[in-house]
Amino acid sequence: MKKSRVLLGFVLWAVALSLAGQERFRKAPPPPEPRQELKLPSIETSPPLTNGLRVSVIFRDDLPMMILQLIIQGGESSSPERSAGTASFAAHVVTRSTQSRSASDIEEFIESIGGSLSVSTMEDFTLLTFRFLDDYLDQALELLGQMILKPDFSEKAIKSVKSILTLDYLGREKNPEFVAYRHLIRLLFKNHPYEKMGFPREAITNWNQKDLLEFFDRYYRPNNAHLILTGSIPMRMATQKVSRVLNTWQQAELSQKPFPPITPPQKEKICFIDVPLAKYCVIYLGTVFPSDDLDPSSLSVVSQVLGGTMNSRLFMNLRESKGYAYFAFSQAEFSRSGGLFFVRAKVAPEFIYPSVQEILKEIRKITREPIAISEIDQAKSYLIGNFPVAIEQLGVFSEKISEIMAYDRGNDYWNKYYEQILLVSPEKVFTAAQKCFLQPPLVVIAGDKSVLTNRLNEFESIDVYDSKGIRQYTINKEKQ
Amino acid sequence: MFYKKIGVAGLAIVLAAGSLLSQAPNKYAFPFSQYKLKNGLQVILSEDDSLPVVSVAVAYRVGSLHELPGKSGLAYLMENMMFSGSADVPPQQHFNNINRVGGKLNASTSEDMSTFYQTVPSNQLALVLWMESDRMRFLEITEDSLEATRKDLLDIMRQRRTADPYLENQFSFDQLLYMDFPYSHPLLGSEDDLRTLTLDDVKNFYATYYVPNNAVLCITGNFNKMKTMELVAKYFETIPRGKDSSFVPAPYKYIKKQVIKTEEDSLALAPAFYMGFRLPLFAPNDIYSLTILDYILMRGRSSRIMRRLLGLDNKIAYQLSGGIEKRRDRCAFKIFVIANNPYWINQCQNAVFSELDKLKTAFPSDAELIKAKNMFKRDYLDRIATTLDKAIFLCEKYIALGNLDAMPLELEKTMKVTNTDVVTVAHRYFTTDNSVILNVRTK
Repeated sequence: MKKSRVLLGFVLWAVALSLAGQERFRKAPPPPEPRQELKLPSIETSPPLTNGLRVSVIFRDDLPMMILQLIIQGGESSSPERSAGTASFAAHVVTRSTQSRSASDIEEFIESIGGSLSVSTMEDFTLLTFRFLDDYLDQALELLGQMILKPDFSEKAIKSVKSILTLDYLGREKNPEFVAYRHLIRLLFKNHPYEKMGFPREAITNWNQKDLLEFFDRYYRPNNAHLILTGSIPMRMATQKVSRVLNTWQQAELSQKPFPPITPPQKEKICFIDVPLAKYCVIYLGTVFPSDDLDPSSLSVVSQVLGGTMNSRLFMNLRESKGYAYFAFSQAEFSRSGGLFFVRAKVAPEFIYPSVQEILKEIRKITREPIAISEIDQAKSYLIGNFPVAIEQLGVFSEKISEIMAYDRGNDYWNKYYEQILLVSPEKVFTAAQKCFLQPPLVVIAGDKSVLTNRLNEFESIDVYDSKGIRQYTINKEKQ
Repeated sequence: MFYKKIGVAGLAIVLAAGSLLSQAPNKYAFPFSQYKLKNGLQVILSEDDSLPVVSVAVAYRVGSLHELPGKSGLAYLMENMMFSGSADVPPQQHFNNINRVGGKLNASTSEDMSTFYQTVPSNQLALVLWMESDRMRFLEITEDSLEATRKDLLDIMRQRRTADPYLENQFSFDQLLYMDFPYSHPLLGSEDDLRTLTLDDVKNFYATYYVPNNAVLCITGNFNKMKTMELVAKYFETIPRGKDSSFVPAPYKYIKKQVIKTEEDSLALAPAFYMGFRLPLFAPNDIYSLTILDYILMRGRSSRIMRRLLGLDNKIAYQLSGGIEKRRDRCAFKIFVIANNPYWINQCQNAVFSELDKLKTAFPSDAELIKAKNMFKRDYLDRIATTLDKAIFLCEKYIALGNLDAMPLELEKTMKVTNTDVVTVAHRYFTTDNSVILNVRTK
């Protein structure tokens, strides 16, 4: 009896010990497995077709859809000086109707092939993106052919597009983020062709058939374009199909003068734009830099440390620590002539002033104090880990592809991504941060003036602009 | 360990029999396997090595349907509480850990399912399983975490109530359409209920529904199956089984009766109306025909009601939304319209009725049918586009059906719908005496 009790006690003890041992793994996060190799679909580019059109194929047999992208090497910066926004105007007119298909016919046709069509006009290029069920490549190409070869530039089509875009802009101008970003672009790229990215709604009334025809005639040329197909299609078949539809697209001599270098503003400036009835206010703060000045990988790490995610410095300071902001992030954008680095924050009106001070403080800190190696490693780990997570989404994937193609970054750009991030050293990060903020940043605040008036008085000096980008007056602290 | 007991060979047989290819072979099907742990946790695995990423979704069979009168909002509150820390993962650390490795995460609650999901680089799978298992077993539910969550939710409710026109009317309309409390009350609950929820309410809700035998764990993406099964067993198998839920949804008492009501909304800038039709699904395949009808009427810029109300040259409405909505076993077709100006509200309503009548009196053309099917196919494929989409899709199917072996061939059946099927369901359900209308006037 005694022996069996001892045995039972021993068994219970052993079970308890075993359970405790089993559960010890719960106390700390498990270490990661070794990182798996990133094998991305390769980009294959054919020799240009006889008319100069370049065709690339990203073969993906895992997709039940196809994506057809047409890049035109002419963006908002190529719009005529007298008529900013003509690039956007052209892209919308071209895709809205053709000589043989009305706007509603096109809408219906695209939906009938399980498709969607989007248009983006960037500073350097225009991008048309078709997405459709993979059985319908011929039909999608045929529609693209009609848009390019038989566009509808009638007064009716022009009027319709102008009216739609005016309504679209009216809606966007109620959004403080749109208003602030547009103003930031206008001032940071002052006197540079990129300034036209920030064209005002009123510019739409100046858009006209003559400028449209000239823009189309000059930039919508096969030897100024690149067609990319993503899906389950071999290169040879792709070029045959594209050639069959677009072989009559006539090439022309291209003449694009190089843009002048970007020169950042020389002194710190704070601006305000009223967005009546806006439900919140935003701070956009940014700077620009010439294209050959900065290594994109190092700057991506700087941006990640400063404001890439909710674990980055800006968010942790302005939201988690101070409670000033709903969010605070930063990002870097790269284009042909240079780059833009900006911070965006949505803040409570009563904290506008201290929020700007905290953002400036964080920028000063990142340019003056070396970043801890652990923080840099953390940022690199995020960027490397997030890359495949992000490009798993087809929209992000095709956006990255279009940037690679439009900026001729090379077909093996994909495979270099990990390596380039891994090679970023603390010294490179520090140098990138310093170079990026060589000049003091520009600050734009947008929100409802009636809510913010007393808060704007807290700044030493603040320039008030209207929605067209024209300076109205200055509020100086000492005059209060 | 269930699968270690039967050995590797046995495992292979169980998996093969279980459903290695549970969907009928078509070019869009994706393979998955499934098994159950001893504690009742359903596990679904679907490998895809396109990219080095893995998605994990954990879905619990619980939502607003499981709330009792006076306790509305509990399911959504519980979803938020799941981020407030567990025994080994401090508050907000779940988010931070996912973010640090470049992943993304979120959660959602519906009427019968609460889902927690994340996508991470595939070498971080164990991290996710560790955190998900920790909050399944040891969630820290304290007065402090409850009060913090309650405050956040009350703030959201107040903001929505003061900023979203037509919101209160939407809740009224759902009550008219779905009638009984479990199906008709809003997901966020009522402010009064939320204020009075106690710590015991939350603890009991967690203990009842957040148990392995009421959950499904789905892992999709780039992983080694055997290693993953070992990880799943390591982290989840010792979580004790909970009591089996005694929840039984109230039987559906379908009443065919027209309801028309008018309300005022002080936030509304223009008159609007909600229109609905109850769809008791008299025949099992009606849902597929109704889906195509939904696309013909409401989906895409070129659909009939969209064109009629928001046409390029004839825009009489300011906003139009709606379509088929399923709340577990209840189904309804809903339309919400804000008129472009106060004088056109009747015109909008008549236009909707007129389009419904047209569908009953003339067959849609083959071209229109193909368009509807292709749009449905596109949207269906979008629902399974990424590893995360697939994980959520499989969880939803499992929660809805209780068994993936019997997963209906939704895509195939919908693609087989005929013109006659569409007209038949239009006649069957879209009748005046089956309609529910709530008119909203400005104050």
